[in-house]
Formats: sequence, structure tokens, C-alpha cells
Amino acid sequence: MKSSHRSILSRLDDTVRWTGIPARVADEMSDAPLIDRKHRPLRWIPIWPIAFSCALFILSLTWPSALDLGRLYVVIVALQVTQLALVPAFHMNGPLGKPSLEDDEREAALRKDSFLFCLGLLAWLNCLGQPILLILSQLQNWQTVHSVSVAISALMLNATLFASLPTLYASWNLRQLPKE
Amino acid sequence: MSLHNRISVFRAERGISRRQLAEAVGVNNQTIGYLERGDYKPSLELALKIARHFGVAVEMLFSFDRFEPIAMTLERAQEKVNEVQS
Repeated sequence: MKSSHRSILSRLDDTVRWTGIPARVADEMSDAPLIDRKHRPLRWIPIWPIAFSCALFILSLTWPSALDLGRLYVVIVALQVTQLALVPAFHMNGPLGKPSLEDDEREAALRKDSFLFCLGLLAWLNCLGQPILLILSQLQNWQTVHSVSVAISALMLNATLFASLPTLYASWNLRQLPKE
Repeated sequence: MSLHNRISVFRAERGISRRQLAEAVGVNNQTIGYLERGDYKPSLELALKIARHFGVAVEMLFSFDRFEPIAMTLERAQEKVNEVQS
């Protein structure tokens, strides 16, 4: 089929294939993987996207005029979207990166604890944060642009936390084993 | 409550590696490492599998109390033998 006649869904499938992640998961789940990949604890790398998203969220709250500058805002959002696309790549190399079907009981427990911690923290932050944002917007008479920029940065922060926190939690819970 | 184990002692005595034990009981070899160090408490199923692999009762491998040193166990066993002989 010519590329001009392909549907949006098929183009999206191609984009996902282009990342290499589906091929990698299929290889890891095969009986004879081509590459023996190590899933190492990543204790520091996931902190960077979280810090970047937190900084942007705080900036959008405290200094809205900085984000009103059209081009700068577009660049920042583009950077965040790129970062969100890259986060799964380091997740794949982390302790939770291998297919869950291959988990033994310790790994399954670690995966469960990591996602429970992440979802619990996100639920708590959102339950607490949403009323605070609502009250702030009323008290400070936020303009629509300000409200939208805060909402977008909050969404990005949520997505970054969801993508990075489980890897971070699992990595800090794994202590280095001495070699045999 | 902490759970003590003697997996490394039995493994050393039988001369098997972590990887061999892990393959025999169907877990990742890192899991055996974490078990030996006391960082992970096994399920009943895994504890029984390890005990069956070594051919001993599960109480010989896992305990809520600290295991006494092997030297002391041997000493007491020798004392009992001496008592029986005398």
C-alpha cells in the first residue's frame, strides 16, 4: 500500500515500531533472545525528568508571564513531550524493564510494590493538589492562559511521575549483591 | 519479624552455585542472593522447594531465631555421641 493511502492508526503503528521497543520486547520474550540484556537499578536518571517537570510546574504557577511568551512556551512543551517519549527507553533498561511474564515471585512483588507506591502517591498528590489549584485560581483571578498553562504542566508532571516513579522506587529498593 | 536462613551454608556444603539453585527452584539467581542476605522473605512454596532441593526439612533452612554456628552443633552432637558411648 502506498504511504499516502495509509490510515492514521497504521502510521501510529509504524511510529511505535520505529522506536524499536516492540521488537525488543518480542526478542526478550522469545525462547532464544539475541541479546542477553541486563536490567540494572537506575537510581539517578529518572530524577532528571521529574525535576524538569516539577520545575516547569512551579514556574507555571509562580511566574505565568514567562510562559506567555508564545515561542518559549511551545519550545518547553516540545521538550516535555520529547522527554516523555524518552522515559520508556530508560524504563526498559531499569529493574522493571523486562516482560512481567518472566517475573519470579520476588520480582512480581517488587513490581507490585513499585506501581502501588507510584499510584498511591499520584492519587494523594492529585487529591490534595486539585482543590488547592482551584482555590488559588479563584483567589488570584487567573487568566485563561494561566489556567491552561498550569493544567498542561500538571498533566505533564503526572505523566512523568507515572512513567518514572516505579523505576525509581524499584531501583532504590534493590541493593547491590556481592559477586559469588 | 526477621527470618533467618542457612541457604548459603547448604549451598556451599553441596558445592552448587546460586544460578544452579535458582534454576532448580525456578527463580532468578538474584532472588537466591537476596534470600541468602535476608533482604527477601520467600513464599511458603519457594521455601518448600528449596528445602526439597536440599533434601531437608524446611526448619533446617529457615528459622525465626538465629541459627547457632555449625561448630557448636557439631560439638553438641559429639558430646551426645560421647554420652552414648560412655
